[in-house]
Amino acid sequence: MLQFILRRLGVSVLVLLLASVMVYFLTTISGDPLAGLREQANDPKIATQMNARIQNLDLNTPWFIRYLKWLGGAAACVYGQCNLGVDITGNQVLDSLGAAASSTLRLVLISVIAAAIIGIFVGVVTAIRQYSDMDYLVTFVAFVLFSLPSFWAAVLLKEYAGINYNNWIANPQFTVPQIVVSALVIGVLAQLCMGGGLKRRLLTFVIAAAAVGIALPYFTWLRFWQFPQMGPAVVAIVCLAVAVFATHVTVGIKTKQVLYPSLAMAALVLVVYYAGWGMLSEPNWWILAAGLVLAFAVPWIVGHFVGGRYKTQAIGAGIAVTVVGGFLTIVDHLFVTWPSFVAMKPRPISTIGSNTPNFNGTFWQTFLDNGTQLLLPTVLLTVISVASYSRYTRAAMIDVQSQDYIRTARSKGLPERTVVLRHAFRNAMIPIVTIVAMDFAALIGGAVITEQVFGWKGMGALFQTGLKNVDPNPIMAFVLVTGGIAVLFNLLADVIYALVDPRIRV
Amino acid sequence: MRLKRVSAAVAMGAAAALALAACAPGGPATSSSSGSGSAGGSGAPAAAQVDGTGKFELGDVKSQDKEIKLSVGSTEFGGYNGMTPETYDTYTSAVRGMYMSGFFYYGTDGKVIPNTQLGTAELVSESPMKVKYTINEKAVWSDGTPITVADAVMAWGTQNAKLMGSDGKTPVFNNVSSDLVELAPKGPEGDLKGKTFEVTYKDPNLDWKLQTFLDFPAHVVAKQADMSVEDLAAALRAQDKGKLAKAGTFWNKGWNKGPGKLPSKELNVSSGPFILDSWEKGQSVTVKANDKWWGTKPGVNKLTFRFVDPGAMVQALQNGDLDVMSPQPTLDTLKQLENLGTAVNIHRGNTMTWEHVDFNFRGTSVFKDDADLRKAFAMCIPREQIVKQLIQPLNPQAKVLNSRVSFPGDEDYDAITGAAYDKKYDSVDLEGAKKILADKGKDKLKVRIGYNSPNPRRANEVQLIKASCDQAGFDVQDISSADFSAEGGPQTKGDYDAFLFAWASSGQLTSDRNIYTTGSAQNFGKYSNKTVDEELTKISQTMDLNARVESLKVVEKQLWDDMFGIPIFQHPGLDASSSDIKNVKFNASQDGISWNAEQWATAK
Repeated sequence: MLQFILRRLGVSVLVLLLASVMVYFLTTISGDPLAGLREQANDPKIATQMNARIQNLDLNTPWFIRYLKWLGGAAACVYGQCNLGVDITGNQVLDSLGAAASSTLRLVLISVIAAAIIGIFVGVVTAIRQYSDMDYLVTFVAFVLFSLPSFWAAVLLKEYAGINYNNWIANPQFTVPQIVVSALVIGVLAQLCMGGGLKRRLLTFVIAAAAVGIALPYFTWLRFWQFPQMGPAVVAIVCLAVAVFATHVTVGIKTKQVLYPSLAMAALVLVVYYAGWGMLSEPNWWILAAGLVLAFAVPWIVGHFVGGRYKTQAIGAGIAVTVVGGFLTIVDHLFVTWPSFVAMKPRPISTIGSNTPNFNGTFWQTFLDNGTQLLLPTVLLTVISVASYSRYTRAAMIDVQSQDYIRTARSKGLPERTVVLRHAFRNAMIPIVTIVAMDFAALIGGAVITEQVFGWKGMGALFQTGLKNVDPNPIMAFVLVTGGIAVLFNLLADVIYALVDPRIRV
Repeated sequence: MRLKRVSAAVAMGAAAALALAACAPGGPATSSSSGSGSAGGSGAPAAAQVDGTGKFELGDVKSQDKEIKLSVGSTEFGGYNGMTPETYDTYTSAVRGMYMSGFFYYGTDGKVIPNTQLGTAELVSESPMKVKYTINEKAVWSDGTPITVADAVMAWGTQNAKLMGSDGKTPVFNNVSSDLVELAPKGPEGDLKGKTFEVTYKDPNLDWKLQTFLDFPAHVVAKQADMSVEDLAAALRAQDKGKLAKAGTFWNKGWNKGPGKLPSKELNVSSGPFILDSWEKGQSVTVKANDKWWGTKPGVNKLTFRFVDPGAMVQALQNGDLDVMSPQPTLDTLKQLENLGTAVNIHRGNTMTWEHVDFNFRGTSVFKDDADLRKAFAMCIPREQIVKQLIQPLNPQAKVLNSRVSFPGDEDYDAITGAAYDKKYDSVDLEGAKKILADKGKDKLKVRIGYNSPNPRRANEVQLIKASCDQAGFDVQDISSADFSAEGGPQTKGDYDAFLFAWASSGQLTSDRNIYTTGSAQNFGKYSNKTVDEELTKISQTMDLNARVESLKVVEKQLWDDMFGIPIFQHPGLDASSSDIKNVKFNASQDGISWNAEQWATAK
């Protein structure tokens, strides 16, 4: 394995080196670094500026010598003496690279995780119900999303989810036709998804439509949109439901070794909800991080000691409860903060920027501000990659389901959930892992358009500005990072591959 | 089992319903919808402008505790010191104008107008040329230090590209403005602690109003260089590179620590209505009202310059993320803005950048030695059609430009064009062009016209020119490329016939000399004419504006007669502001829409 990894690394470094020569050369011939100044050159200030730029970009030196100089600086990264040069404005590229990478990571991370979860879930469900109405519906939607040009989708998102939402939230009301149409649409979609016979479809339709038809005016009456509220009752019910459901799915409801610790966790969540209210009203990131650690540690310990032979399941179910409970607690704090946040920012969803300039709020207000700024670009990136994940997962699942060992598992009399989750799903995940890993690498470099239209200055902006200015150093930094990440994730995918697939474990 | 499931579902549903039903409407008990009445104050007449095109005369202003957000583009702010070659651009200058005062500024038509808040400047003698500056008695830096002659010496003494550092290659002060020491070798003369000084120029200089005599604070530089202000001023006056080395290092790098890093409080000093407040890398830079500012108070307490891609500006304006925007002037953007109706005010006008076709007088050019051929080509260029089809949709007031040395907004434009131009090229004259070509025995004469691509508008212009000139017997070829005018490209090698481009004017009165005289750097086609040389040299040696106009008439006539090239139009400008913002006005100069941002106020 080690030899394999080393060999792959060696080849990758060679590829990176060749790519860097190519990119450097192509950048230097991509245009005229002084183009922007030429038409103003009549002003003596600009003439001075042109001379300075020739000096700074070292334009009187042939490109390969400049490349070697750059390579020397970049190679020094190996022993921590990075020098990626300066950009056209005389700023250190290394500094801008750090900021750009963190900005892009913030943008991409959530969307990759969300897209993977949603995409895989949808893919599994459509594979199980192959050729059902829902399958066709999802296929249709997936192809529509897949073919969306992101700049255009961004404009639509800004128009509807941004500007129109902001107009609406100032005085949230639904007209009767709006309620009726939403109820009907959701009813139809629900019966398509649930499937079954005519009677069952009709029932689904009626229940879903009625639920929406009642919920919309009811929430409006509650003034939920401006003053959202949840309260401990909802947290308690959801946590209990999760405890019961997790037990039911994993080992069956009668297994007390799992049910009791899960219920205990639900009770614990409520205790923390009340006891920690004050502290969580004005927390900091350390408190939240500690909470996250505890949300895993406590159920792990409890499950470990109480679970008996269902240890793993008890731990899993417990963690599900604490994570959901913790999430709901945070959501409740956000709900409580929302009215004061909207008072500070009457148009909550912005169309540009990674935060509101000069926004000075409490922890949760700032959290909401960053969140609302992040919302549209994240949705856009998620929606675009969900399509491909769901298709890949569906194909992999269908492929696996026709395997002999699935038939064997079924004939053994295993319950369907065990067949799907333990036997089919785990094997279907193998190709998906590679795709998610590679996709992550691609997204880091590929969010260029999304960054531009939403006014984020990340890796995409670094690349784009560099190219516009015919300024090789930022572009090379971009290549170094995206290329490096691609290599790294390729490697990571191989290692994970070995972990999920016992057949190739060495 | 089934029954159990159903009952479980019912139980869950009931529990959920119970939880929901326990809720009561949130928020304050009464819905107070009786907000302040929406006072539509858009009918108020605009205030008068100083000198006709200068800033508004607003009288006594009280700053609103509000923030106005604007964007002039997605380019990052360069830093406090926006005068280094690395940071000098229109985006940084827009912000810099908020915290740095000058003795003059550009009015809406590009005219240079005195800024009486900082002080006055008057020409006291023409030969030798002397200018007397008086700084406002009340003028202080934002840290309370009075603005004095020492600051003028500081501003003057840094503008010398010839003062090289110890390495002999890089100047001590890395200043884009680099020739003032040469133009006025003695610099500002007066008591360093006083408020008046005189500047004596070596030669007459019509553009003295554009020279900078106040930018960065002398007391800050002196402190950073461990000198007294007196020693610093003495070293600057002597242009002593040894003593100035430390000051130069600070001047070049001390203020600019990279994106997002404002200088520390003692270095962040303002002489304008605002002072730098916060800077978020890649996002925005904010200036707040300078409480030591002695002049008319700014309209609002905070101005935020956001770095936004032009393509994202319209929706940002619509959503209130921006209040004022300055996009690329495209038809698409204009249409989007027009769709927003009365919510926005659209500001349009001519900018001081002008498009023209210049001929090549050297190398492989077909126009090299033949004025008649140049005239024939000028006859078939459909200038009116170009303006009508490509420019008027953006700026309905756009007209064909008929001068190479002045703009229609200038007082002397009519006089100059009246004397120099006989309206021969107002409309396309295909017959005339054909006749000339026939007389010369040329048919299908190949004309290579170049520009820096990609540039969709110029591609369209060349298409229109081709459609017209091919009929007259030319064979127009578009030889544009990304590096057309780059070092080693067709333009520097002289391997073209005509060059389509634009000059961005900075309002200088003597800049024509750099373009039309023999051997000057911006005379790309290597045109040479003795009369033009003489007259333009005269302009650079006189203080007499009337003599200047007379010389320009001669020059312009000669340029038409020799057909140096043909002017086509002024570039259109497009800005927009939310209709809540008052006192926003288009400005033709490179200062752009933010030229009077300190006067903006909001009606929200």
